Amino acid sequence: MSLLEKKYWKGLEELRDDPKFIEERSREFWEEPGLQASRRDFLKLLGFSVTGAALAACTRMPVEKAIPYLVKPEEITPGVANWYATTCAGCTAACPILAKVRDGRPIKMEGNPESTLTGGGLCAAGQAAVLSLYDDGRLKGPVLDGKEAAWEEIDARVSKEFGEISAQGGKIVLLSGTIVSPSTRALIGEWLKAFPGSEHIIYDAVSSSAILKANETSFGIGVLPRYRFDLAKTIVAFNADFLGTWISPVEFTKGWAANRKPPAMSRHIQFESRMSLTGSNADLRVPINPSEEISVAMMLANEISKLAGKGERPFAPTNLPVDKKIIRETADYLWKNRGQSLVVSGTDDIAVQTVVNAINSLLENIGKTVDLDNPSYQKQGDDGIARLLDGLERGEVQGLIVYGVNPAYDLADSKRFVEGLKKVRLVVSFADRLDETTALVHAVCPDHHFLESWNDANPEASFYSLTQPAIRPLHATRAAQESLLMWMGRTEDFYTYLREYWSKNLFQQQSKFSDFDLFWDHAVHDGVFEAASRDARTREFLADLSDVGARLIAPLQIPSNTFELQLYEKIAIRDGRHANNPWLQELPDPVTKITWDNYAQIAPATAASLGLKEGDVIVLKAAGGQVTLPVQIQPGQAARTVSAAVGYGRTRSGKAGDNVGVNLFPFAASLVTIEKTGRRVDLAQTQTHHSMEGRPIVKETTLEEFSKNPAAGNEEHEQLVSLWAERDKEGHQWGMAIDLNACTGCSACIVGCQSENNVAVVGKDEVRRRREMHWIRIDRYYAGADENPETVHQPMMCQHCGHAPCETVCPVLATVHSSDGLNQQIYNRCVGTRYCNNNCPYKVRRFNWFDYAHNDKFDFNMNSDLGTMVLNPDIVVRSRGVMEKCSMCVQRIQEGKLAAKREGRPLKDGEIQPACAQSCPTQAIVFGDLNDPEAQVAKLNQDGRFYHVLEELNVRPNVGYLTKVRNKKEGAS
Amino acid sequence: MKKIFISLGIIGLIAVAGALIVRGARSVGVNQGYEPDQPIAYSHKIHAGENKIPCLYCHFGAEKGRHAGIPPANVCMNCHKKIKTDSPEIKKIKEAIEQGRPIAWVKVHRLPDFAYFNHSQHVAVGKITCQECHGPVESMTRMRQEKPLTMGWCIDCHRQKGITPPEGHLSDRGKAIGGLDCAKCHY
Repeated sequence: MSLLEKKYWKGLEELRDDPKFIEERSREFWEEPGLQASRRDFLKLLGFSVTGAALAACTRMPVEKAIPYLVKPEEITPGVANWYATTCAGCTAACPILAKVRDGRPIKMEGNPESTLTGGGLCAAGQAAVLSLYDDGRLKGPVLDGKEAAWEEIDARVSKEFGEISAQGGKIVLLSGTIVSPSTRALIGEWLKAFPGSEHIIYDAVSSSAILKANETSFGIGVLPRYRFDLAKTIVAFNADFLGTWISPVEFTKGWAANRKPPAMSRHIQFESRMSLTGSNADLRVPINPSEEISVAMMLANEISKLAGKGERPFAPTNLPVDKKIIRETADYLWKNRGQSLVVSGTDDIAVQTVVNAINSLLENIGKTVDLDNPSYQKQGDDGIARLLDGLERGEVQGLIVYGVNPAYDLADSKRFVEGLKKVRLVVSFADRLDETTALVHAVCPDHHFLESWNDANPEASFYSLTQPAIRPLHATRAAQESLLMWMGRTEDFYTYLREYWSKNLFQQQSKFSDFDLFWDHAVHDGVFEAASRDARTREFLADLSDVGARLIAPLQIPSNTFELQLYEKIAIRDGRHANNPWLQELPDPVTKITWDNYAQIAPATAASLGLKEGDVIVLKAAGGQVTLPVQIQPGQAARTVSAAVGYGRTRSGKAGDNVGVNLFPFAASLVTIEKTGRRVDLAQTQTHHSMEGRPIVKETTLEEFSKNPAAGNEEHEQLVSLWAERDKEGHQWGMAIDLNACTGCSACIVGCQSENNVAVVGKDEVRRRREMHWIRIDRYYAGADENPETVHQPMMCQHCGHAPCETVCPVLATVHSSDGLNQQIYNRCVGTRYCNNNCPYKVRRFNWFDYAHNDKFDFNMNSDLGTMVLNPDIVVRSRGVMEKCSMCVQRIQEGKLAAKREGRPLKDGEIQPACAQSCPTQAIVFGDLNDPEAQVAKLNQDGRFYHVLEELNVRPNVGYLTKVRNKKEGAS
Repeated sequence: MKKIFISLGIIGLIAVAGALIVRGARSVGVNQGYEPDQPIAYSHKIHAGENKIPCLYCHFGAEKGRHAGIPPANVCMNCHKKIKTDSPEIKKIKEAIEQGRPIAWVKVHRLPDFAYFNHSQHVAVGKITCQECHGPVESMTRMRQEKPLTMGWCIDCHRQKGITPPEGHLSDRGKAIGGLDCAKCHY
């Protein structure tokens, strides 16, 4: 089958030509059945509108006040944005960011380009973290015994009780998640000394402790290595979603993408159970059950051992879950690139990690792509939590501080924790809201949001970044570190402590500045400080694989009616910490395209054999209990597995996140049975919306073909005559080129666009009606058989057609072309006929069916004074009845042009970046002036891989795509 | 015959009523001549007219960004620490600063939310005088909206004025400054 004939499909219903799907895809808008208006209704509405308009015309315009500063802060000019370098605390990866502050309010976050780790990229969750600052669910001040209290009251009580506990030789435990801040770690060290007998226990809801322990036994150094995807020519990953959620996704995505530029392409092989974002980008993806991972890894180790001339290791697995040919080929690729390859596993299993270490050691990767001398501190959790639970049960813990974690929600044993908590004399929490854990504690001392705090981060070895406040604290909160200092009887604030720490520990690691103040000012300005890294050296593999062997001799016996359950994190909600962020709840999962829910993913063949359809509600039963979830049929899912996301089913996160989905943390069973309930739910899925009816919209080729012909897979171009007069193309002509080979589908652009352009959240019900408002979507196409299809991610937004079909049908000229090549949508002119959307071949226009701002029916961020503070004041909040769509961030174009004009210089290429292009960690989206021959976008327009989607329509888009290149053999799956 | 007159009369009435409604509707939201009372009886005539203080001394934002801005109270006090300290109006400003209570001026020049206007574009780049849009401010005792600030009024000026873009600039051809593209102001 040639590549052009390859059939792409977005969902199983499309692959199978389901009649319901065929009927629905021909309709652009979802309509309520049976909703029809009579002539009478029309006349009523007409009369009402005329009277309404007449009355409205009689009212005087309300008086508006203009309130200037009394004393203007020096750095603020009203209407001009300031950018502050700080650090994202959306997860423990701690990406350096820039916060855009308009008139005192942080309104957008972008990656800090000064960082060599992340280079200006930022993930979807990071982009959305600015919204959590304005979360209505945050506490407005401290709480003592369930009542609002003053800080003095709390401090008196906590200091007194901790003092007494300590004096009596009692135990105080500080329970936290991974702490990437070195100064906070130092402070906790001091705190532990001030309260003898106290202990700091770290746990991560989604843990990587097995890697730390495996490295201890394998190499004698129990650290999380720095994985160098940027140096790896062959990558093999077992159940590690390193482009989506694993450890440091932005950094890894950047590193991975560096070697994905044809003709220099790495080869990426993924063994996994569910179709992860990473798996969907692999050159070869092999579905395996979770329990088979160890056998596959061991097979691979054996093959490589043979290639290394060290003979076959013992304990070769007896059952071979994967075709031996695939393993042999994988081994070959790895061996060819030894020292430049990388094998990782995301499974929290010491045995698996030990085998992975053995493979990397055989491949001479230690000290190269696996850097143990410059470790990562992004996952520090170990098994201390088990010790804490025992201690709580025995009543040995008298004081407990909960810092940045939510054990009553995310522990598998949360019941034991909650029971144990009752025996503790004083429980203090630093949580920002009354979450599942905080609701049970005595004193809540809410910490600042990270955009309100001073802090620092040391995510990896020699990489440091600073957190500086971008806004004065909105509520009566206090930095957790200051609370700790206070209870130690120290009076200094944390800023002083932080500066002191940097002066003592980091100042001497550099030689550029001789004066600390100067060094500090530069560090605060740049946001990042990179000290010299240590030389990475190789280490001998010391571990004994006999433990693993024992497991292989007795492989997991799975009865025929049971399935292996695999829990995972979704890129948006992660471990549940972002549950109350409506932007993230509404962000479609990059693979399943489902919003506002978690679900049980099963393979199509399994669904067929069990007679299950998408949306059928099932009960997963195990010895430990049961959960009820809707079914999602996932192409590429391993046949004997069920995958489900954690992070859902929060009960005390806030108005957006409560009771969305089901909490799977307490259901950490490995084997489950499936029972039908007979019920069905409609999943809020964007997957089959806006279908393109099977036309060739994604183009792809293989590396082999590409090396013969740079235009491979892109040979056919239509040269058509147009009936329209050619447009005058003087001046700027804005355009975009999107590299399908670089786009991973990570969805950072969707949230970046939402944040920049005040895109509304519509909620689960409206998404079900296909009324989500995102201006940019990522279409995910499958190709091939549904057991293990290939995947393509294609960002799709307004293509800014030169001969735009939408423009010719608008009766009121609300959508017209600009002289610089933009397709403009003028909201105040639009009357909402929706003709434009009907005539748009790309289905990128979004209609405001309701007022989404200040509407109690849409009780998300745009329905409160606090939530609306995140809105971009340069952009209109659209009202009901108007169409909207991607404007190519015209406000940023105007801003960039104006800056150049003010300085009297020509625009530089790359100076203007729309939000999507800016946010992309792989620079898959390139924006610029097509009339500037030196512009990168103009050069990409001449590339052999460049094409326009639906060229046969001759609409002459200004947005084009570059074909995807897969590093695989022609004909191989 | 009589019927025809009656019909014509009715049609005429409808036409007149229609014309009146259209005229009325066209002036909806147009506040030309708006001259509200202000919390402090500030006179542009004294400051800008008689004492010739440059507009940009107080409205420094006009060169830098979107808003020209109303000067912060501390800018007033730059001079009024020494000048006319016993005036009751100056005392109001002094009190406001002392009490930390901002002064709520009544906004005179208002554009609807759907129109984006940037002062620096016109002042720093276009180099047009403040008076072109704000009228003879230096002669106004109380601030008044002199011009209609309607879209037609903006466009008229943009059509008349031509500019030559500096060497090497691709943007905004000389035909009409800023172009007449909708999305230059509406986004």
